Amino acid sequence: MVASMVSNLTIVAPHEAENHFEVSLRQAFETLQPNLRPPFSLAIPKPDEYFHLNCAILYGVLTEPHLAKTHIKHLHGIVTDGYAIFVNSLVGVVHHLYPKLVGSVKIQLIWVVEEMVHVLAVGYDSLLVSLLRQIVGGDFCDANLWLCLKLVTLFLDKWQCLLEESPHVLSSGLYTFLRVLSDHCRPAKANVEKLESLRRLEVHFCVKIVREEFRLCLKIGRDFIRLLQDLVHVPEFRDIWKDLVLNPSKFSASEFRDISDIYCMRTSHRYALLRITPEMETQLLFLLTHVKLGHQKRHQMWFAAKFLNEPDRDTVIVDIVRFICCAYHPPNEIIQSDVVPRWASIGWLLKLCRKNYVEANVKLALFYDWLFFDERRDNIMNIEPAVLLMVHSIPKYIDMTHTLLEFLLLLMDNYDIEHKGIIVKGVSSSFQLLASKGVIQSLDVLTSCNALSPVLKEGLGRLLSGVKLGASNGYLPG
Amino acid sequence: MLYLMKCSNIRNMILLKDIVPAAENNIETKFILLDKGRVIVEGQHKTCLALVADETAAVHFQLWGDECDSFEAGDIIDLTNGIFSKQRNNLVLRAGKRGKIMKIGEFTMSFVETPNMSEIHWVPDPTNSKKYIQGHVISTRSRLFPPIP
Repeated sequence: MVASMVSNLTIVAPHEAENHFEVSLRQAFETLQPNLRPPFSLAIPKPDEYFHLNCAILYGVLTEPHLAKTHIKHLHGIVTDGYAIFVNSLVGVVHHLYPKLVGSVKIQLIWVVEEMVHVLAVGYDSLLVSLLRQIVGGDFCDANLWLCLKLVTLFLDKWQCLLEESPHVLSSGLYTFLRVLSDHCRPAKANVEKLESLRRLEVHFCVKIVREEFRLCLKIGRDFIRLLQDLVHVPEFRDIWKDLVLNPSKFSASEFRDISDIYCMRTSHRYALLRITPEMETQLLFLLTHVKLGHQKRHQMWFAAKFLNEPDRDTVIVDIVRFICCAYHPPNEIIQSDVVPRWASIGWLLKLCRKNYVEANVKLALFYDWLFFDERRDNIMNIEPAVLLMVHSIPKYIDMTHTLLEFLLLLMDNYDIEHKGIIVKGVSSSFQLLASKGVIQSLDVLTSCNALSPVLKEGLGRLLSGVKLGASNGYLPG
Repeated sequence: MLYLMKCSNIRNMILLKDIVPAAENNIETKFILLDKGRVIVEGQHKTCLALVADETAAVHFQLWGDECDSFEAGDIIDLTNGIFSKQRNNLVLRAGKRGKIMKIGEFTMSFVETPNMSEIHWVPDPTNSKKYIQGHVISTRSRLFPPIP
């Protein structure tokens, strides 16, 4: 039987149902297998035949490495839609199946993706972005490092083409690799040999974009700075940082005169989404739209067990908080329902941080849009979770309110002393808007809260009364 | 899966709140696995009790043989030709020899833990002695699987 010789795309466990999408691709392959060997038919297929032929060729490319070149030649011969259907199916494979793909299929997948970039297939840019999403933050397993290596190599190899045809893909690559570099450059990982060459390529790629194509950094907006700051202990990025602060004219972009120009650019939610795998996104969205407050514990446990339990994985909490603040804005029906609110999920995630630097980065992610908030261009939904978490924690978890408010006030004073004015304005207008729009009833819940430490209340009071904050601040440690 | 897909129109899926003890292998349903007990070896076979639930009710489910190691908490499971009956004094749902369970997903399913159909005292139907109807509730939720603290 032919069917028994066909290998799978994915690893299927005993008692596990097969994925519909994989089944449909395999069926196309099994049905059309006789047509997939030369001499190829010269007849022009009808639209549905064309679709199935594309699926069959894709399945062949992925599961028959020794015939991959034949399959690709076949594809080049029959294609009439600029490869749109083929690439679209490839995106489906990446989106729905990637984590479960057999190792040899992953190798074929990267190979055929390169082919699609080479021919500038319709939709190759989305294909590259969907692959970037499969790079998992905080994951040091060989398969994940392999994907980093393959993609950074591909981005460097196809540099000129991507720059001319799809510069936004390079911005997505930059965002991804800056983020994973913060994992790969942790001091604790400095001597991990297998990381060395990967780290060098990732640094080379990121530095090349920043130094040569600075406008692509501007496309990202303020989160570019947030990621870059996590890397200032790396010499190449320390140099970039110095130039950004002291020598901005070194970067060739007319829109850029000062670092505050970037602070003022809100980052598109697409970048937050880029650091969340589709699997994680599905589960997070389920948590945020279906699971009821008071009944969330099992789902939260399962989520943490799947995505956060391995050592080092907790750095991905930073990305998740950014996703919740920037990329998921619930409609009113959800806000008014008994579903676990965003602020409660963030409170739970903060409790899962195992290292101080992760916790600090999570808080920074939570407050980042506060620092530069401007009602005219920023979205109140990005800053809503932090204030609600502070206010709702007062009755039973005052420590949470304390640690968040303390962090915010410290940020205001220390984040960027040169631009303190912008930041003080951002934070105070955040508070004012959240109160005036009724997100919290009144700022009195904080300023008149008996349980809150007098030092914090004083700092907050000073900020809200519009008193210019001088150099002497009681709450500052130094 | 294909089989399920093709037959989904004719399968008579029921909710856990509607299952009734009977000596028939005819329960078609879907649930999420909440918790697993310890694996017990009985003779040549392994068994393992689990707590499963859907949007309407929970019930104890008996995993058998290699099913015990193939499913984890959070798995969404499809049951074909299942049976809900007494097994060594436990009222459990299971696939049995003629039934089948398949993992069809994970995580994305809502559930309740009350009522638990295994914690209900079932009595013969006065109008039809071959059938059971619900008597009193023994416990609103599972006594075997403690709630998450």
